[in-house]
Amino acid sequence: MPFIEIEGRRIEINEEGFLARPEEWTEETARLLAKAEEGLDDLTESHWAVVKFIRDYYLEKNLAPMVRKMCQATGFTLTQIYDLFPSGPAKGACKVAGLPKPDGCV
Amino acid sequence: MKSRRSGSSGVVRSPLETGSQSQAKRDALPSVAGGRLQTYDPAGDNVRRFLELLAGRLTRPLTVSLTACVHCGLCAESCHYFLARPDDPTMTPVWKADQIRKVFKRHIDWTGRILPWWVKAGSVHDDEDLNRLKNIVFGSCSACRRCTYNCPMGVDTGLLVRFTRGLLTELGVVPEGVFNVSRDQWETGNQMAVSEQDYLETLEWMRDEVRAELGDDKVDIPIDRPDCDILYTINPREIKFDPRPIAQAAKIFHVAGESWTLPRWGWDQTNFGLFSGDDRLGAWVARNVYEAAERLRAKRIVISECGHGYRSTRWEGYTWAGFDQRVPTESVVVTLKRHLDQGRISVDPSRNAEGVTFHDSCNIARSGDLVEEPRDVLRRVCSDFREMTPNRRENYCCTGGGGLLSMAEYRPLRLEVAKIKAEQLRATGAKYVCTMCHNCIDGLNDVIKHYKLPMKVVQVLELVSKALVLPEKGGRG
Amino acid sequence: MSDMLRLIENEVQLAALAFLGLVYIVRLIWIFRFASRKERTFAAGSQGAGIRRSLANIAMPWAMESTRKDPWLYAQFVVFHLGVAAAIAATFIIPYAPHVFEIRAVVLLFQAVIGAAFLAGVLRLVRRLVNPVLRLISSADDYVSLVLMILFFAAGFLAVPNDIDRAEWPLIAFFGLTAFFLVYVPFSKISHYLYYPFTRFYLGRTLGHRGAIPQGTRPMSPGKDNERTSRPKGDPR
Repeated sequence: MPFIEIEGRRIEINEEGFLARPEEWTEETARLLAKAEEGLDDLTESHWAVVKFIRDYYLEKNLAPMVRKMCQATGFTLTQIYDLFPSGPAKGACKVAGLPKPDGCV
Repeated sequence: MKSRRSGSSGVVRSPLETGSQSQAKRDALPSVAGGRLQTYDPAGDNVRRFLELLAGRLTRPLTVSLTACVHCGLCAESCHYFLARPDDPTMTPVWKADQIRKVFKRHIDWTGRILPWWVKAGSVHDDEDLNRLKNIVFGSCSACRRCTYNCPMGVDTGLLVRFTRGLLTELGVVPEGVFNVSRDQWETGNQMAVSEQDYLETLEWMRDEVRAELGDDKVDIPIDRPDCDILYTINPREIKFDPRPIAQAAKIFHVAGESWTLPRWGWDQTNFGLFSGDDRLGAWVARNVYEAAERLRAKRIVISECGHGYRSTRWEGYTWAGFDQRVPTESVVVTLKRHLDQGRISVDPSRNAEGVTFHDSCNIARSGDLVEEPRDVLRRVCSDFREMTPNRRENYCCTGGGGLLSMAEYRPLRLEVAKIKAEQLRATGAKYVCTMCHNCIDGLNDVIKHYKLPMKVVQVLELVSKALVLPEKGGRG
Repeated sequence: MSDMLRLIENEVQLAALAFLGLVYIVRLIWIFRFASRKERTFAAGSQGAGIRRSLANIAMPWAMESTRKDPWLYAQFVVFHLGVAAAIAATFIIPYAPHVFEIRAVVLLFQAVIGAAFLAGVLRLVRRLVNPVLRLISSADDYVSLVLMILFFAAGFLAVPNDIDRAEWPLIAFFGLTAFFLVYVPFSKISHYLYYPFTRFYLGRTLGHRGAIPQGTRPMSPGKDNERTSRPKGDPR
């Protein structure tokens, strides 16, 4: 299983760069994933708002939320989400929130 | 010359995972219960069924592609898998094609049935052989057809790969990602299991965003409006992950005064049947679109930017579905070109000032007709357009084609061989690479990230939208 | 001329040729039994132009990256196949128009072409033995076909002077190999020339219909509908 090494910590990720064991996610994991995978040195409150929403949605429904729901819940426009997570809602925000990769060609 | 070490084959040794197939059977999903979507039967005589399917499904073009190969090896250096792993002959198109060709020679052709070893005929003996074949045709090839274009004999290896995939799909011997996406498209009509509610809400949301941007309440994203000029069909990715292209299209269509609609059902122009080799799925999905156009009496079907979607809906789908084409079916890039040609929209190329290069998608350039049209549009909306080398029909695959993006187990190999693409991109020095395909966006993004290229991927719609000069307020609009 | 030579350069050839013809007829019937699907879409190009371009491909080395990258290999291909043509021509000239080979210049020309083909054949054999890709995929048929062709060229080189008073064995060897080839070819990859028109036709027809080939000659989709090249319903192609 591949892993990323960041700040002296090792995080196991799957082949796609998503968290290998989603259930082991912590906020620290999120911070490290964001740094390693998205190039984000810091996560602002806006970032956390998105991440928290995604995480809660996933824990409740075992699904990745649709982008619209993300925007509705957090009040951000789609463009703002892309500004926050350069890889976008699926590959960026959902990854930082510790979700497994969504199905489909994406 | 590089070292002569006999490197191990790059073919991924991935076992057959049937977890989600078992779940689908337990859930008695209609597509599975109805026999439209096949699952793997560990107790079945899969080898025998494989051979029967092989014999039964051969067409003339396939047969001659199987017999005509002279083992000249010229295809080898046309394939990015082999170019990136030059010590690995199992990455060549000829070797990959030979894995099905040898079975054909053994069971259907002449010499191979009597003296198999003379022509290297061979068979599949058990399900493990089928699984190995799965790893080759799904995992070592993006079916980009670059080899087809470089074969002196005209052997269509890309077609042979799809054919072999189709045989395996019928037996459920597929990567799990392939099963999942096929299942979703069968069950919901779209590749990403987007619900009708999600679909309609997202369209409303984008309509509201465009209204806000243009300050015009007359902007609309119609659904099921009859007698329009254009039936617009999209990629489910635009609903699930990135609806910005919908807004961009809506904005441009509005300014251009286009009469258009999306259908409530039959809006998915993508088609996983192309990747899985399943003509049955391909037919059903394509037919949904064609029938939506008929139902709504649309004069033209327009396909949002997607490579395999364009090839499936514009070209292959009509054959799969046995449906004679009745209305023009085109890519949205051609629609945009028409708008520009007819002066219905004005653009300012200085809005896209940084270097833009264009990546020709395999399914559009090699299996389709559009190479000059996107360039014509791009030259009008960008001020620094550059070609990559090679380009047009000789371009390299984004490496994410053939459905590979849904097959996680093949990702490491895919990224390894993407170094060919990375070098090609880097050499352009461009900040943006434009592509007409959603799959290529993600494929190229993976390459860019993995090889740390300072580039971003954009689509034609986005560049046109950025360059769009809005009419004066109070004027038309 | 000995009886053996007379037989082998005439009756035996004709019998072997008849056998080849018969097997090819059966082979063609076999090919045509596989279905071909009909086109249902509006064209974006021309099927005819695509077919022509596709058939001509082998004579257009600049048109494919694979042949552009290695002009030396393409040159070998040309030389080799010119040798084939010359050698086959010789199998007809010797029994039925032997006066042609009484002209020294003609004999030298044929020897030059066949001799060059012999060398090209040897280079190809070396390539097939040395190149790891070819080593992995090549079958006995691939090797034996090539070796026999090399021997065929050698025999042809020696046979073309048609000097039956000096020695008959080159001619016997040459015609013996010819007869063998005629019987062996229909079951071997050497029959690729029979399949070439088919692969090229089907590939060219589809890609031509879609406007993918010929490249650069199709005008861009016009500002209007893309049905300007559509075929009327009922068009047999």
